Amino acid sequence: MTDRPQHPLVHVFARQLADGKTDRREFLRSATLLGVSSAAAYAMAGHITGESSVDPAAAQQTDSPQSGGILRVAMQVQKMDDPATYSWTQMSNQSRHVVEYLAITGPDNVTRPLLAERWEASDDLKTWTFFLRQGVKWHNGDDFTADDVRWNVERWLDPNLGSSNAGLSTFAAMVEPGDGGSRMIEGAVDVIDPHTVRFNLTKPVLSVPEDLYNYPAAILHPSFSPPFDVDPIGTGPYTFAEFEVGSRCILRRVTETATGEPFVYWGGDVYLDEIHYYNFDAENQLTAYASGDVDTVYEFGIEQLPLARSLPGTVLEARTAQTLCCRFRTDTPPFDDIRVRQAIVKGVDNGVFTDLVFLGAGDRGENHHVAPIHPEYFELPPLQRDVEGARALLAEAGHGEGLELTIDVGNTDGPWHQAATEIMRDQLQDIGVQLNINVMPASRFWEIWDETPFGATAWTHRPLGTMVLSLAYRTGTPWNESKFSDAAFDAALDEAEATFDVDERRAKMEAVERILQDQAVMVQPVFRPIFTIVRDNVRNLHAHPTVYHQYGQAWIAT
Amino acid sequence: MATIPADLERPRLLDRLTSPDALFVLIATMWLPLTAYVLLGRHLGPLQPYVLLPAIPATLVLYVLAIRAFRESTVAVIGTTLVFFWLLMAVTAPYLPLEDPNRPIAPFTLPLTETRDHFFWLGADGRGRDMLSRAIWGCQRVLVWGVTATLVAYLIGTVFGLVAGYLAGWWDEIISFVANVFLSFPVMVLFIVILNYLGASGLNIVIAVTFASAPAIMRIVRGLTLDIKTRDYVFAAQTRGEHPLYIMLVELLPNVRGPIIVDACLRLGYTTVAITTLTFLGLGLQPPDPDWGLMIRESARVALLWQFAYMLLVPALSVSSLILGFNLLADGLRELSLKD
Amino acid sequence: MPALILRRLGQMLLIMAFASLLIFVIFDTPAFKKKLAVAELGGFGVATLSDEAYQNWLAEKGLDRPFHERYVAWVADVAQGELGTSFEKNTAVGPLLADRLWNTAVLAFWVFALMIPLALVTGVLAGMREGSIQDRALSFVAVFTTSIPEIATAIMLTVVFALGLGWLPAKSAMVQGFDGWQLVLPVLTLVLYGFGYVARMTRASMAEVMTSQYVRTAVLKGLPYHRVIVGHALRNALIAPFTIIVLQLNWLLSGVVVVEVFFEYNGFGKLLLEAALFGDVYVVQAATLVAVGVAVTSQIISDVGYTFLNPRIRFQ
Repeated sequence: MTDRPQHPLVHVFARQLADGKTDRREFLRSATLLGVSSAAAYAMAGHITGESSVDPAAAQQTDSPQSGGILRVAMQVQKMDDPATYSWTQMSNQSRHVVEYLAITGPDNVTRPLLAERWEASDDLKTWTFFLRQGVKWHNGDDFTADDVRWNVERWLDPNLGSSNAGLSTFAAMVEPGDGGSRMIEGAVDVIDPHTVRFNLTKPVLSVPEDLYNYPAAILHPSFSPPFDVDPIGTGPYTFAEFEVGSRCILRRVTETATGEPFVYWGGDVYLDEIHYYNFDAENQLTAYASGDVDTVYEFGIEQLPLARSLPGTVLEARTAQTLCCRFRTDTPPFDDIRVRQAIVKGVDNGVFTDLVFLGAGDRGENHHVAPIHPEYFELPPLQRDVEGARALLAEAGHGEGLELTIDVGNTDGPWHQAATEIMRDQLQDIGVQLNINVMPASRFWEIWDETPFGATAWTHRPLGTMVLSLAYRTGTPWNESKFSDAAFDAALDEAEATFDVDERRAKMEAVERILQDQAVMVQPVFRPIFTIVRDNVRNLHAHPTVYHQYGQAWIAT
Repeated sequence: MATIPADLERPRLLDRLTSPDALFVLIATMWLPLTAYVLLGRHLGPLQPYVLLPAIPATLVLYVLAIRAFRESTVAVIGTTLVFFWLLMAVTAPYLPLEDPNRPIAPFTLPLTETRDHFFWLGADGRGRDMLSRAIWGCQRVLVWGVTATLVAYLIGTVFGLVAGYLAGWWDEIISFVANVFLSFPVMVLFIVILNYLGASGLNIVIAVTFASAPAIMRIVRGLTLDIKTRDYVFAAQTRGEHPLYIMLVELLPNVRGPIIVDACLRLGYTTVAITTLTFLGLGLQPPDPDWGLMIRESARVALLWQFAYMLLVPALSVSSLILGFNLLADGLRELSLKD
Repeated sequence: MPALILRRLGQMLLIMAFASLLIFVIFDTPAFKKKLAVAELGGFGVATLSDEAYQNWLAEKGLDRPFHERYVAWVADVAQGELGTSFEKNTAVGPLLADRLWNTAVLAFWVFALMIPLALVTGVLAGMREGSIQDRALSFVAVFTTSIPEIATAIMLTVVFALGLGWLPAKSAMVQGFDGWQLVLPVLTLVLYGFGYVARMTRASMAEVMTSQYVRTAVLKGLPYHRVIVGHALRNALIAPFTIIVLQLNWLLSGVVVVEVFFEYNGFGKLLLEAALFGDVYVVQAATLVAVGVAVTSQIISDVGYTFLNPRIRFQ
């Protein structure tokens, strides 16, 4: 255990763990969130519960790791202009082992310190202090300092940069409105000493560490100028040896700095000599794996599962909070009438999607966008399909003779979007709603995703349940695609977000989830699983719920 | 085009069919309901289940007539049979004892097996939908859009070809130039532009095929017109003082008809390939309704194992047999026209 | 003849100017600018932008200027051999296009090297004895392979030879540098689809020549059959297919798209499709120029070759 002063709540959690009031996983998450280093937290968890507890990043190490070898990955190779304005996960995977983040969320959905050694939050969750790891070097030989962090955060908040970080709760709590867009508040990022930086927020934010692992939140060297691939300076173990958009991205170990001195990675042993990303489109990745071109793939869809299972190697599955929101524009007829929305929601049986779409994998969606794997998930009574009630509501709303609707589908996460909406179509026939499915190319869908009256939008996994609610359903936020606006909801969410204790927060989530469900903002049928496949000689590689590649501890057995 | 038969003066192809008027009525009875059924679908309201009924006898009668007319050419008979097989499937699909083509039943069921009280003649796809039903329903959209697109391309190509060939001069210069622009324009860009403005639909295909085919058709018609307009009967009409429009429609059009029909059959084949390809690239017809191109597209992800290859073979053989039908029909018609 | 070529080249420039103007107009519409923004920043990224930030973004990309200004600047650049920068790939368009064109040229070379002999032999053998069993069989093969869409052939070949038997690589991305084996499946797909058309044209031409007066005379004179074929018929029978073959160049340029996309072969067709989907206007423009150039050049070669092979034809 550490001898640093601990957040008072750590002891509370430890007690809860001992009493069985909180599970081990939740304790680990909360403790690391409060800045206990992950190793310490795991040790503590083991100590409290008496179980042996290991960091999964160090788990599965039955053999001792071997150094060397090349990991070949099939993924779309995209341009890396500016890591702060990345628009696709793939871009961030290319640079994930070159530039690093202050925190890291593991395959187990627990967020731990990375470039920060630990952090402390004030009781009101408005002041967060990050203690940076010492001895971290940039590839050019510079020391990594708190000024570097401040430079990055200031840059993200520049309205002209267009970084999607600016929309996250942490950073939204650092700005004030001004002419020409919102500006960063003076003193929001406070450098205490070369290895300590403090974030002063305008309101309580729970998800600061998680937000700092958002894919465009990589910490860049202040000398950065786009494009990133030309002169990449990072703190990670790898750098680019070769890069061509649409073709390949080859990462090689950094052995010396620009000045010729030996470079020692702060994180200790890394095993792979090289990581090769080869460009294969989503539908071709598994074929490329099958014909031996690569060792693992970015992702494959459920429709390819039978093929994947027939191939040599191991299919990896991650349980996620990635989902499909068939959401209504609550300000557009006929969806501005809550009875219409409620009727549609009642007409759909959310229970069938995991079986029909994902062959039993995945989690049932409950129309409130909080997933069972979220720590603060509050289990509401199961949704019941109510055909009679739906018909009655429709009749009341003046659509007794039937209603014809069109849903826009972009299949942005693969053809399962369409499969899910087709099931909805069949079910809605029973309540007299004729649902037309308007399938369009993904690129076209992203042009209209927040404008269409009824659309099926894919939302990615976020580690905490409150995070996505804050981005997608709070009044007036840019990503509020349903234009949902409810003061009671905003207040309830504020309260949940200001509550650190998970049990208390979970209790507060009941109201939040219930409002979203009752207001019938969306049919959110299912949380999807993520699949990838890896050759058997590749060890210690995990499927990540956001498909973030963490190959630092992966190794290849000979 | 090297497909133009030498003999232009006696286009007897249509004459072989006993009475052109009755023929047009029959074609209309077959085609209009089918087009209406595919284009309007549910908007037909209570009529929907009955709309295709008159098309069934019309198709059968047309088939018998065509076989009789083409009996001298085996190739043409085979081609006609293939094409009419799919036409018949298209008009009878709603009345056949088929499973709903969009209903998921049992994923990855192999052909000729019974699962969940349902016998799958051709198996089920990765989503569990009956392949037989999808293959039969799938021909409707390919046929309707393919033929409509070709027809529109021909209308436009023929009109401009007649004008360019007959009026010559600046008309010819301008029309030929525009045709050249479209002929050398990358078709893919055209498709995507149209797709972006009109959305993905059959209309998209009609416009795309028109842009891609009409210039070539225009060239053929222009060439034929240039040849025919020196004939005596055109001069005679000119001396009678007929309006150019009359000369084009009454004197010229019927005389270029023969070679065009042969070319049209070939082009129907290409159009069907083009639709399949566009749909595969995600630029043509869109799901969820069954369509051969979409089935091939889906199979490209799923059917990569031996035992699942049937998911590709069913739509691929279906579309190929239709294209083969068009191609053989073209060959046969050419053979017949040479015999005349 | 030189006058004709000059006229054609002049026409080509005019077509290029017209086509590029058309593309510029289309890609200058707000809809296409938004398309590019979505492709660059993602749907979620664009939704975060305020109007002002969006305008700034356009300005940064140089898309805020009126289109005629941009068009004139672009024409001036192109005249100096400067084709602009790709938005998607972040590289100069010139080298990118040259690289992809070279890849397609390699593919096209092998397609032609296999397809032409195969098509000519099939066509000549079929046309030699019109109506014979040999003719029927070969003609059917030719029409049958042409009736299977390329994409269906491509998947089938992959299932059988790559994933089933494991003899050939399934994809042609050439991730480890150039690999001839990876070319086999795309070449085979294109040959299977393309050869039928040329074979049928050759057959028609051959059949016509075989009924011509001088071949009949030669046969009547008692010359050995193979001498008649090789010495008299062949030369004349190959004139028509020659034009068709040269025009196939143009077919390849658009016909390869689906094959290149399916096999992940980094050629011209795949580049064009990606650029058009992304809204990468400068790549689309450059590719259009190339496509027009290839179309017109193949027409000129076809005309010149035709005249050369058949001195009876003169262009007025």
